[in-house]
Amino acid sequence: MMFKKEFLEEEEKVKKEWQELYDNLYKGKEFKATSDSGTPVKSVYTAKDLEEIDFQPEMPGIYPYTRGIYPVQYQFTPWFNNLVLGYGLPEQTRERMDLLKEMGARGYFGKDAYNLVFDLVAKAGYDPDDPEVRGRVGQAGCHFATREDFDRLFHGIDLTKVSVVHNICRATLVQIAMYVAYLEKRGIPIKKVYGNSMNWLWAFAFVGNVAFPPKNAFKLMAEFIKFCCRNMPQWNHTNIVSYYVEESGGNAIQEAGFAIAAGIAITEECIKAGLEPDEFLPRFGFQIAQASDFFEEIAKVRAMRRVWAKVNKERFGCKNPRSLHLRIHSQTSGVTLTAQQPLNNVIRTTLETLGAVLSGTNSIQTNSYLEALSTPTEESHILALRTQQIILHETNIPNVSDPLAGSYYVEWLTSKMEEEIFKVIEQVDKMGGFIKCWESGWFKDEITKSAYKWRERIDKGEKVIVGLNKYVTEKEQKVPVFKYPEIEDEAVKRLKEYKEKRDNEKLKTALKRLKEVATLVDGTWPEHSGELMPAVIETAKAEATLGELQGVLREVFGWA
Amino acid sequence: MREKQIRVLLTVARFDGHDRGVRYLARKLMEFGLEVIFTRFVYPQDVVSAAIQEDADVVGVSFSVGGHKVITPEIIKGLKENKREEVLIIVGGVIPDGDIPELIKIGVGRTFGPGSVAADIAQYIKDNVAQRAISSSK
Repeated sequence: MMFKKEFLEEEEKVKKEWQELYDNLYKGKEFKATSDSGTPVKSVYTAKDLEEIDFQPEMPGIYPYTRGIYPVQYQFTPWFNNLVLGYGLPEQTRERMDLLKEMGARGYFGKDAYNLVFDLVAKAGYDPDDPEVRGRVGQAGCHFATREDFDRLFHGIDLTKVSVVHNICRATLVQIAMYVAYLEKRGIPIKKVYGNSMNWLWAFAFVGNVAFPPKNAFKLMAEFIKFCCRNMPQWNHTNIVSYYVEESGGNAIQEAGFAIAAGIAITEECIKAGLEPDEFLPRFGFQIAQASDFFEEIAKVRAMRRVWAKVNKERFGCKNPRSLHLRIHSQTSGVTLTAQQPLNNVIRTTLETLGAVLSGTNSIQTNSYLEALSTPTEESHILALRTQQIILHETNIPNVSDPLAGSYYVEWLTSKMEEEIFKVIEQVDKMGGFIKCWESGWFKDEITKSAYKWRERIDKGEKVIVGLNKYVTEKEQKVPVFKYPEIEDEAVKRLKEYKEKRDNEKLKTALKRLKEVATLVDGTWPEHSGELMPAVIETAKAEATLGELQGVLREVFGWA
Repeated sequence: MREKQIRVLLTVARFDGHDRGVRYLARKLMEFGLEVIFTRFVYPQDVVSAAIQEDADVVGVSFSVGGHKVITPEIIKGLKENKREEVLIIVGGVIPDGDIPELIKIGVGRTFGPGSVAADIAQYIKDNVAQRAISSSK
């Protein structure tokens, strides 16, 4: 029992008084509300609610880490101002990298850090001259095709001192192989570089893109992890992007449950590939949505930390505390932002950033208020950064770790979320695991149903979105949007020149060899695991382009 | 006599994952009594072939990461070459305001951006397909 008997008796008395007052004033009127994921909530919570959830004493940095993974939160190092950036040619993206740095964007311990997003063309691993991708080169991300593009992004930067996020999803393995080849050419030891890669091939269980099929996606993730944890000890190889669950229409419970189920499946595949969980789990990270239901989103993050720690301890027997740490990058929610009255989005992203800070995240991306209209302009990008800086420096919030701990409501909701997340994990287990659920289309069906419900609630006015279904104005609010530079012709020209000046005979041999290795790794899985990444790196050193490398993987591992 | 159901082909590039809106719209249009075929395309020609094969009255294409300026004209050209200029073209997703006049000029009926209401889109389709049928039978 957490509270003294006398305390609870006192509470009962005052609750009775409250009930009488309530009945008197509201004449039996019942308050009915649910969270965005459908959890019924009461109008007030009390100590008794904490008694019922078996509330336990906890400290930050101590298992099960509900209150944070470190003993202190932001007192000695603020969160990483992890603003995603990328558009046009690499040298244009570099301009934005320099601008945000100049405006004070920093990584952990004040280090320079960049979160680079590549265009959808590169994210799928296509070259800019592929007929499938016309019209999209350098849009909604930075163009990337050859090793020279790394030079255009990073010339003059000491890559052993900065942290770089390479946001390139399905082309993670081949692009990081090209990065390794690039680092070697610059004489930088790969064990000394910091950064993150996405490796989120599992997310295509519900994101609609063409991708590697389920079983092979997991093989490729494990191959990549095996190489990184044995050769690039400081590299955060795997980012479990649950953000896309909520963006695609899932609710907070589904986001957390699907993400942890994916983490379990990746861990199982890595074990199959001969790795120990304590070898690779410390370098897993999560990218989590911070959406509009303020307290539910905070409770989700606190509960996810607890669930991840319990799963890795109990299910996988992890001994290394870092394997139990859910390291979090929070991203304010894109779908909560509207094209209508776009300035309102400044308020939404501010509230979501505040929620992320209160949840004790490690890194934050605040979306630009233009999210529903375009990529950030310089002005809106800086405003997003300033949002974080104002919370950091002006509010005194970062003085105290996990300031919401002990709140009757927040603790009750955290436990409720934990319970619901475990239910999702159990359900996935019962249906045969993550890969089976992906193959059957279950994730996609669940998320589509949830997206439909969400939109129906908006159309019926049950959920109010200011400026969209309430307080609508005829007069349009005009804001300056970002206009993409036209770079496709230049990208194609560069690619052609690159191909002309390399040793194409040498490349042909390397590509042939890569296909043999990939076929062997695939056909004998997991017997030859660990052999794919070195072969991709060798081919990257022979000047293969992103599209050529990914082309081999697509051919061998499938693409649908 | 029972009215012929309007057939709508909704499509999005297979390498663009922003399909939440268009998949939602597919279900809503069905609820509003339209027949909906949902596909993913690789090349513009795939959209043209699907529209012909499915005898679509309406083609709705969603773009969220560019491509609308290149793909849309080719779809319209392909439909014309196959004598299917009566097909109503609508475009959705994130289309910069500045690009809309050009799309309308080449023959797009209307664009529907983020936050559009499915009922409005259904009504627009019903009104315009009827009108096009009248003008093309003249």
